[in-house]
Amino acid sequence: MSEQERAELPAPGWDPVTTGYWKAAGQGRLVVQRCTACGAHRWPPAWACYACQSTDWEWDEVPGTGTVFTYTWADQRPDMSTPIYNISVIELDGTKGEPVRIMTQVLDVDKDTLRCDLPVEVTFVPFDDEVAVPMFRPRVDSSLRGVR
Amino acid sequence: MHEGTWLRDRAAFVGFGHTRYGRRGELAANGPVPLVVEAVVKACEDAGVSPADIDGYCSYSNDPVDAGTLASTFGAKALRFTAMGWGGGGGAMCGAFLYAAMAVATGQADLVAVTHVIVQGGAFGRRWGGMDRPLPRFPLLASPGQSFALAARRHMHDYGTTIDHFGEVAINARRNAANNPEARFREEITMEDHHSSRMIADPLRLLDFCMEGDSGNCVILASAERAADLRQPAVLLAGAAMGSPYRWGMGMFGGNNMPAADFASAGQRTVAEDLYRNAGMGPEDVDVANIYDHFTPMVLMGLEDFRFVPKGESGPFVAEGGIRREGKLPVNTHGGNLAEVYNHGMSHVFEAMRQLRGTSCNQVDGAEVALVVAGSSPSPSSAMLLRKG
Repeated sequence: MSEQERAELPAPGWDPVTTGYWKAAGQGRLVVQRCTACGAHRWPPAWACYACQSTDWEWDEVPGTGTVFTYTWADQRPDMSTPIYNISVIELDGTKGEPVRIMTQVLDVDKDTLRCDLPVEVTFVPFDDEVAVPMFRPRVDSSLRGVR
Repeated sequence: MHEGTWLRDRAAFVGFGHTRYGRRGELAANGPVPLVVEAVVKACEDAGVSPADIDGYCSYSNDPVDAGTLASTFGAKALRFTAMGWGGGGGAMCGAFLYAAMAVATGQADLVAVTHVIVQGGAFGRRWGGMDRPLPRFPLLASPGQSFALAARRHMHDYGTTIDHFGEVAINARRNAANNPEARFREEITMEDHHSSRMIADPLRLLDFCMEGDSGNCVILASAERAADLRQPAVLLAGAAMGSPYRWGMGMFGGNNMPAADFASAGQRTVAEDLYRNAGMGPEDVDVANIYDHFTPMVLMGLEDFRFVPKGESGPFVAEGGIRREGKLPVNTHGGNLAEVYNHGMSHVFEAMRQLRGTSCNQVDGAEVALVVAGSSPSPSSAMLLRKG
């Protein structure tokens, strides 16, 4: 898959500091940068820690659950025959430091069901044979899983 | 520690000029340079100086018309100062004025022009939010409107702000523009018009958006001493500030990780604090406010960041008529980006100068102090306070 095509990846884009995020998603894992000096997670991806300024970091897998912080809908689209989609900011569970929010899309919702504070969980939408795009869908309470 | 007060009242706004305000692409035929040339000539006529005497140029938003071209075009004996503000859109707009003010106040230059041109269509313009491109394979954030909708939605969630509150900002802009012969949109609108306008980026509708257009724009600054000898009544820079709060990053354009309390804001909380300190003023001193209104909710959040109302209370304030020209704080008396013209905030400066000269189409009686707030969300943003000399 060409670099040119990966330039079409949504936020945070295909960049030397984000490749690990996309490749982990290709393996079905949601990862966030973690400072190896102080342990704070951070977003968007950056070359130094906002909390302790260390430049040492690693990709750390997070649970993949979170809540919708805010959202909008692409009511106006270049091609109105394509289905409407949303742009959502998800606050992730299980991170250290200040809250981590990533901008992505929530699937399987409509204007009646997408709302702030909606619990969601990650799903991975393949982009090419190596990378995928982390998106989210409404979370089913784990205690109910298997019941439905 | 912080000695931003030094600049207070040492620089003056001595002239302004602009081309007519065209619709998007209308003025694009000859490219951006003649639009700026026309604006500089008109600003110089206003100030009573020659374009050849302009020895400094400042701009922002990667303006395509550079200082060297302008100084050479006008035959300036020497170019002495140039500066360009980082960031897209109108965020650094007042920052460009801060550079110019510092230059004339410190003697780096004698007369500095702040210029900005927008030609958003034709061969010379290209829009990020353009809906004329194919969707990428994974469509996400595709326009500024969608970005600001994220902040607007969160503001509604946190504070109970409603679309009626957004609508009042749009209504106020048109109502003021109705008296402004230069405004592009002079027809008044009702709340029903607002609510029935097409949804673009839920919760934002067509009438929550400003309309892109073409224009060339210029304001000339001089030292306060020099200004006293020029044609127009003196308008002084009481203070200016630029920047963004902790972890603001690119704001709604993909930052999104600022503290939650700042998320549903204009990103101007710290700029406001610095500005008021630099100018030795507070919100109670402001007679008229020109707040960058590319999208209606950002006026609400600007009222909060600049402490005209407590956080979260801008909606009820506008609903009670607080920003109307008869209200507690007249806002965008020219019609703003929403109804006069979208020129990345330059017309907000023109209107502040008119108010302090006493020549506005919606003159606020006894206006002594005008606030100008540049574009919210990019980093840096900026703001300034002007006062009657």
